[in-house]
Amino acid sequence: MPWPENPKLIGTRIPRLDGMIKATGKAKYPSDEHPEGMLFGVMLYSPVPHAKIKTLDLKPAEAMPGVKAVIGIVKEGGLVRYHGDDIAAVAAETEEQARDAVRAIKVEYEILPHVATEPQAMADGAPEVVRGGNVKKGRATSVGDADAGLAKADAVVEMTLNVPVITHVCLETHGLTARWDSKEKITAWASTQAVGATAAELAGRFNIPVGDVTVLTEVMGGGFGSKFGADVWGIAAAELAQKAGKPVKMFLDRVQEHLAGGNRPSATAKVKMGATKDGKISGMIAETYGTGGISRGAQFPLPYVYAVADNKRTHSDVFLNGGNARAMRAPGHPQGCLIMESVVDELADKLGMDPMEFRLKNLAPNDFRTGIYEAQVAIGAEEIGWKNRKARGQSSKGPIKTGYGMALHQWGGGAAPDKQVTCIINPDGSVEVRSATQDIGTGARTILAIIAAELLGLKVTDIKSNIGNSTFPPGQASGGSTTTPSMSPPCFAAVSAARDALFKKIAPGLNAEPGDLSLADGKVLVKGEAKLDWKDACRKLGMMPINELGKFEEGLSSVGVAGCQFAEVSVDIETGVVTLKKIVAVQDSGLIIDKLTWESQVYGGVIGGLNYGRFEERVMDPTTGVMLNADMELYKLAGASDMPVIVVKAYETPEMKARGVIGIGEPPTIGTAAAIGNAVANAIGVRVANWPMTPINVLNALASAKS
Amino acid sequence: MTDQDPKSRSGSSRRDFLRGSSLAAATAVLTGPAQVALDEATGAEPEVKVLTGEVSLTLKVNGEEKTCKVEPRSTLLDTLRHRLDITGPKRVCDRASCGACTAIVDGVPVYSCTTLAVTCTGKTIETLESFGTDANSVPHAFHQADGLMCGYCTPGFVTACKAFLDKNPNPTLDEVKKGLDGNICRCGTYMGVLEAALAAAKAMKGA
Ligand code: FES
Ligand code: FES
Repeated sequence: MPWPENPKLIGTRIPRLDGMIKATGKAKYPSDEHPEGMLFGVMLYSPVPHAKIKTLDLKPAEAMPGVKAVIGIVKEGGLVRYHGDDIAAVAAETEEQARDAVRAIKVEYEILPHVATEPQAMADGAPEVVRGGNVKKGRATSVGDADAGLAKADAVVEMTLNVPVITHVCLETHGLTARWDSKEKITAWASTQAVGATAAELAGRFNIPVGDVTVLTEVMGGGFGSKFGADVWGIAAAELAQKAGKPVKMFLDRVQEHLAGGNRPSATAKVKMGATKDGKISGMIAETYGTGGISRGAQFPLPYVYAVADNKRTHSDVFLNGGNARAMRAPGHPQGCLIMESVVDELADKLGMDPMEFRLKNLAPNDFRTGIYEAQVAIGAEEIGWKNRKARGQSSKGPIKTGYGMALHQWGGGAAPDKQVTCIINPDGSVEVRSATQDIGTGARTILAIIAAELLGLKVTDIKSNIGNSTFPPGQASGGSTTTPSMSPPCFAAVSAARDALFKKIAPGLNAEPGDLSLADGKVLVKGEAKLDWKDACRKLGMMPINELGKFEEGLSSVGVAGCQFAEVSVDIETGVVTLKKIVAVQDSGLIIDKLTWESQVYGGVIGGLNYGRFEERVMDPTTGVMLNADMELYKLAGASDMPVIVVKAYETPEMKARGVIGIGEPPTIGTAAAIGNAVANAIGVRVANWPMTPINVLNALASAKS
Repeated sequence: MTDQDPKSRSGSSRRDFLRGSSLAAATAVLTGPAQVALDEATGAEPEVKVLTGEVSLTLKVNGEEKTCKVEPRSTLLDTLRHRLDITGPKRVCDRASCGACTAIVDGVPVYSCTTLAVTCTGKTIETLESFGTDANSVPHAFHQADGLMCGYCTPGFVTACKAFLDKNPNPTLDEVKKGLDGNICRCGTYMGVLEAALAAAKAMKGA
């Protein structure tokens, strides 16, 4: 069954259903919950990057006022492997008491040598974070003959680019509030992107059936890929609650959130790329590495977007004493994009070609995205005023230089075909859709309601979109831009089935066949003529609500998007300060359900990318191995005054719409930092090879170009 | 405090000082995080001495007198959230850099995470739960312009916006940006937020 041809609601601008409760402070986030008798949990985490726990004495904490339970997480003799690693946890009547108690825990550390930065970790004879060395070389990938490709190039560039680790900085820190309802049953209010996985993790840890775990996430304060489970601290909350016989709330403090709540791996790439005079990339050789702390995960796509027939690459994961990497909005792609796009830009300059033209020449000939890119680039170039772009470093004589840059990106997304939605039509006319998915701020709740309202001829506010409960039919985790494409088809199926069941029930009373009935504007129509109000129709159900389960259907959603972004900047070459003037984002994502929340997602992606391009950086102190900016003053994020003009353009042709629903969370955040970097290079005539585009990195690049 | 201490610029280790009326906390004030880390690791941290004691406190919040017990070191934010179940204001940075905890005290927007509850007796405290919700209200404008996504920063933005517009009913876009610079959003809702602020200013005039 296809999407309605002339929708009334789908594709319009609909304010989100939970907007008012959020804007009035009445929404209860997991960190706002306060079940009867609740205790406050606080974590003790490692102040050092690497140590053996010689002794761990919890007794002094147990004796502190108000303390109800204390647990050790590391055993004596165990290791802490990064600043922020978990050691123990306390639950007390007040948070102040719990903090005091954490301080009273006696830990004797045997300090071990650490490596906190990539150069430290890669140095000869560096202390090993993992057995066998800190540098784990992946298998080399090779396509065609890279050396031969480079040999025939008319222009070759060689450069090393670098982008640091950044952290997720979820505003609601990781955590949950746990309550044991009986010995075998637990309820957890969790700040999570996956109620189902969180329930499964708790069930597994406590060896109870997953049906006896209820994870509730009515709303939550941001995840960006870092909140897919209960985590050590969530398990700790449940253990403390078990021990104390009272509910326990455990949310990380801001410091540990930076240290242990996840991060996007760094990326360093030494790239050699060549092109022939006609503007075709002829070959590429890349050596890359990145760090995901004590875990893997620093791989990223390269080559990216463009067709490079002859290329070879080796990638290494570097291990160091830092918190685990976690998926972060389009994992790998922002790194791959800013590296590829910088080199492509340099190469175009070296060939003396307009970098836009160069890019278009190197799109993959047989990729469905190529036509989309071409159309998008034309729109974006017009919108940013690409024709005003001057050749590299030619913008003006004074110290303030202006420049333009661009970047292309892509993302998969797509649906998980095993998710379900229930639609209930009650005799009082109320309608509910249910599923164990959640809304992490993307608008997922509203999307389901829009689909239901569209099919039932009702208003969006007539629909109760009941999600964020792990006991509901299985729903999709919110990650990888898969939520909307996974959840829309079963929602469509469930609501269609419920509507058809209603028609079947009421048709005889209207002297009609079910096929004669339709719904519009809150009315039941017989052969196009309004006969009955929705409520009166539902009343005919008597005591029996309609309850239909919908499963995935093919043809309603799709996978794979393209996008391009343009940036206009000015750079003061005396101070190194980069000012963003304008960003243009052109993005496709199939059929858009809610234009308003879609735009918010794209703006949000661009602003995330702008942070990545201009401000963000985890700063590790090589001497002590601790993170120096684990706060929100020195870990820089854009504020309102940092906002340039941002223009968002949906690329939504009839062909795009016909593809069905595709997710939009990740794609628009990928290309922004790359476009900014290219605009800076265009402005100042020098490549700033180290992100973010801070004054120090800009000035260093200018200085080294001079020398 | 050494020059390399990144915290020294803001002097905001004050938070830690407020939290624990003990020598351990004072150590955090006197040295940088790296030094603290080393001290703690090497057992250099002195014995924990905790001087606790709750006081009874009456606060006038959203027009109602509310009594609760707090410690002298308890912040206004924690008192609202933990003792009075007023959870609109959020705890995010917990040290005066993000604005999520903004409340209005005697007409002035403050970071409630760095305001002691005991300093607020006799003052008028407003949180966004008390704001109007009609078509001319700030929350309504945020909802309509989609100036929120996850919504965790939103209470702070709404409160800062309301306080700002009460003083500057006719702002330009640049003034709004400056007025809201004390708040941070990670989801990236600034475009909606700015639109909402301008729309609310307009609507309030019409009201
Ligand atoms: S929580 Fe108070 S300013 Fe961030
Ligand atoms: S809406 Fe999520 S942090 Fe602002």
